[in-house]
Amino acid sequence: MAAAEAQASAVCSGMAGAGLAAVGDGTAGPDMAGAGAAAEAEASGPAVAEAPPPPLPGLQLLQQGAEALVYRGLFLGRPAVAKLRIPKRYRHPALEERLSRRRTAQEARSLLRCRRAGIPAPVVYFVDYVTNSVYLEDIADSVTVQDHINSVQRNGNDTSSLLVLGEKMGELLAKMHDEDLIHGDLTTSNILMRPPMEKLDLVLIDFGLSFVSGLPEDKGVDLYVLEKAFLSTHPDTEMMFKALLKSYAAASKKSGPVIKKLDEVRLRGRKRSMVG
Amino acid sequence: MDLPHRLELFPDCSVTLLLFNHVKNAAALRKKAMEGSIEGALINPAMIVDPFQILVAANKAVHLHKIGKMKTRTLYAEIIFNLSPNNNISDAFKKFGISDNDEALLIVLVVDREKTVNLEDIISQVEGQQVSLDELPQLTDIVKVKKVYKVTPQEEKIGTLVDSIVCRMSTKDVL
Repeated sequence: MAAAEAQASAVCSGMAGAGLAAVGDGTAGPDMAGAGAAAEAEASGPAVAEAPPPPLPGLQLLQQGAEALVYRGLFLGRPAVAKLRIPKRYRHPALEERLSRRRTAQEARSLLRCRRAGIPAPVVYFVDYVTNSVYLEDIADSVTVQDHINSVQRNGNDTSSLLVLGEKMGELLAKMHDEDLIHGDLTTSNILMRPPMEKLDLVLIDFGLSFVSGLPEDKGVDLYVLEKAFLSTHPDTEMMFKALLKSYAAASKKSGPVIKKLDEVRLRGRKRSMVG
Repeated sequence: MDLPHRLELFPDCSVTLLLFNHVKNAAALRKKAMEGSIEGALINPAMIVDPFQILVAANKAVHLHKIGKMKTRTLYAEIIFNLSPNNNISDAFKKFGISDNDEALLIVLVVDREKTVNLEDIISQVEGQQVSLDELPQLTDIVKVKKVYKVTPQEEKIGTLVDSIVCRMSTKDVL
């Protein structure tokens, strides 16, 4: 067991070193763990359980985010995504455990809340509170809105379709906020599109930072985060975001105060004052 | 009879499902189950929509069993409890376990690699006809399932019934 743990912690630090180079090849994932373990011997930390890659058939490392390692594989016969939280060793172990557990629980709770309200989000298959990992439905052949926008802009064709996409996004977010659900990390890489792209079948993911709130302030900030992510990642999308907000305002019954707060938050933002 | 399903996270465990119809001795079997003299979880197939639902319940049960955090006393009781959308154990048994005058029965077995389970022995205790799992949809009471799991109409638009059920099963302990 100790050997496995030491290797596992080396997996994570090995992966961190390699960064996104780890993405892609299925067999490379677990094998890199071997190489990583040889290269970086690391004392296993205290209390927090380190999760080795789950033994799922067809295992493939999808991505390493700041919070978690995301794998794809078959779980109980279904295509699934396994999110294994990365323990942050700089945190005090008690805090780390509590925070990790809270984020995992929030994610599970929010995903159920979404589904109950008819908001498309992945189905939760299993939550492991020991390693704070979640096993979710894999949205097959999906593309992030981020990748989609990039590809449409690169091909230069049909940029008006992006406006319609913006409207659909606005509708979806309105629905979510009307349920008093705050996503907490709205970016274009946290919204997926199911094929075919023309259907604009959107799915929200990554609810690790989500919480419940009816306050227009919180909803306004949620939208502000998205706006910032939008404009910094995707140049020339001001019209698209405008369409998003317009559609949001039309679709949500409580949108008035929210948009007002959004304007206020924009004024508050970083580096707004022209003082030297 | 279907092949046993391997649990990926617990490679030594496999789950076998046995479906029976025209069962005459449900009352006696239920008594045996309560005494612990029959191997397996005895489940009412009317509440089961898809074998995946059972696998999710079994996976969670084995996980909790391994870390000593089950809510019930036995692995098989835990599987039945996990099927329920709420945290009331006796309610789970009432809704998902078999009742005395049930005519259909689903037996779920979880087998460790070292142990051997005598399927013939279990099958012989059931006074009924063993049928293929393909017949499960005919035995499902969809109306009752939707009612017990409180599936909303909006939810039905974004996924299948199994999706709604499984989501509730896996997140009920955090609510």
